[in-house]
Amino acid sequence: MNVEKMLLKCQFEQWLYDEAQLLDDIEFDDWFDLMHSSLHYQMPVRVNKEGVERPDYSTEMFTFNDDIELLKLRVDRLKTDYAWAEIPPSRTRRFVSNVRVKDYVEGEKAVVKSYLLIYRSRSTDIQHDLISGERNDEFIFEEGKWKLSKRIFIVDQSTINTRNLAIFV
Amino acid sequence: MLKTEKSLEEMSKQQVVDYLNETVKPEEGVIPAYLLGDPKVYDIEHEKVFLKTWVFIGHDSEVPNKGDFMTRELAGYSLIITRDAEGEIRAFYNMCTHRGMKLCRADKGNKSLFTCPYHGFNFKNTGELVGVPLQKDIYGGNLDRSEMGLHKVKLESYKGLLFGTWNENAEPLEEFLGDIKWYLDILVGRAEMEVIGVPQRFVVNSNWKVGSDNFVGDSYHTMVTHGSIAKLGMVPNATYSKRGFQIHTDNGHGLNLGTPNPDFAFPEELKDEFKTNLSEEQYGVLSNLKNMIGNVFPNLSFLISHTKIKDQFISNTSIRMWRPIGHNKMEVIAWMLVEKNASQDWKDRSRDSFILTFSPSGIFEQDDTEVFTDITEAAQGPMPFLKNLTYNYTMGLHREPVDFIGPGVAYDDKFTEASQRNFYKYWLELMTK
Repeated sequence: MNVEKMLLKCQFEQWLYDEAQLLDDIEFDDWFDLMHSSLHYQMPVRVNKEGVERPDYSTEMFTFNDDIELLKLRVDRLKTDYAWAEIPPSRTRRFVSNVRVKDYVEGEKAVVKSYLLIYRSRSTDIQHDLISGERNDEFIFEEGKWKLSKRIFIVDQSTINTRNLAIFV
Repeated sequence: MLKTEKSLEEMSKQQVVDYLNETVKPEEGVIPAYLLGDPKVYDIEHEKVFLKTWVFIGHDSEVPNKGDFMTRELAGYSLIITRDAEGEIRAFYNMCTHRGMKLCRADKGNKSLFTCPYHGFNFKNTGELVGVPLQKDIYGGNLDRSEMGLHKVKLESYKGLLFGTWNENAEPLEEFLGDIKWYLDILVGRAEMEVIGVPQRFVVNSNWKVGSDNFVGDSYHTMVTHGSIAKLGMVPNATYSKRGFQIHTDNGHGLNLGTPNPDFAFPEELKDEFKTNLSEEQYGVLSNLKNMIGNVFPNLSFLISHTKIKDQFISNTSIRMWRPIGHNKMEVIAWMLVEKNASQDWKDRSRDSFILTFSPSGIFEQDDTEVFTDITEAAQGPMPFLKNLTYNYTMGLHREPVDFIGPGVAYDDKFTEASQRNFYKYWLELMTK
């Protein structure tokens, strides 16, 4: 890996770390500002296939399948007094790793893959939930900033072991 | 005052059953909290409810082609559901008859032969044992393969809904469903329906009965638990959920029917198909339907929901099973169904409205699971038993049923707990039989 590629990787790592911090700090408006208006935010349902047949996730059913408008609705909802699923908010910690820049056009677009591990703690419960998976992200460069235009989160469980996804992946 | 009698843990099974008879009083609206927290009650439930009644296992559109299969659970035991070369659907216990290894470990697929990973015994999707490695050599011609077919599980279907039971003496499925069939026709018999993709699955630390109770008759919670939805303008106002009818039928089934609806909630272009499949009365209900939330005893809940998303009304139809994993844990399995002949645009919008509202990320569902978890936690351990903690199910006890166009006992708005009392009445009947 040459220096140029290292800097590039570092740039998107930093973006993902900053994003993780905004979500963990429940700064949803600032997080939402990172999204591009053409956003497609998707989390397919993972399936348990017998062999190496791929993809091993559904191409028809999703746990998230939002555009910018639906994502905005979720963020707005969390700000009502009735979003019980996150009252009080979960304590989350997002660990981002294995960042790889797959495609890059300077000042235009990028495709980045990364791994994500979310630790979630609710209320006084001493049990925690772990959500693990791979993010397949696409970015568009707009007004001097990288904006997320597509995220496909491939979760590592076919039965999700958390009471809900009132949190973002 | 603390009790001096035995704890549930010290009681014999018969004593627990007697104690249930004494303390569970659905007709008076008294349901003790220990029903949601006691492992012994859960064990008796497994034997007397889940091994006795019909339990939902899937929809026939999930195995549409010859050779398709899927694995499901029936009362905690894995099943293989197959469609053979003639199109017949069967269910088998997912266990090799030689040494008991789990035969199939995928969710679904297409194949006509299942090979055991242990010794390579081969079973056809009709259940027959067709191959045993080195059979002649090692069994000397004495192995009767015809005696070693897979254990067949009793399976019956209604309007595409597949149910199984371990009880060889179970009444026919249609008898068990009884009058709820009239409403299931509207749910899944109104048109040719198909499951979109695969079901959503997630685990909630909740007793399964909390889910059934919520769907069988609790529209009252919508005002508060789902208050955010009204705030976002997706439903008319916080009290919209009261309007309509609550209906219950024999064997613990029940539903809430939200009506009227100024808009037609289903694909307009399929009106002829709906009219062909439904009676005039059923079509009348369908045309005015705002929502339909119910439960087929014990743990199959269903829903038609009509909401406004991006300034456009759209409905979605789903069924969900509260699959018990333990006295305080369940797996929620949610299938989304749509009219097969609907336009692709309708199917996509309907699916996305389901995902947005009822799925692990659903903005209705996520608030429910928060409540389910905390109710279950508060019911755990010996204290709720010791202190006789009970829930109040008396809402609407003073009311008389009304005439309704469909069968069952109906009340003329949804805010009553008659359906929940009916659910627990049948539950108690089975538990103490």
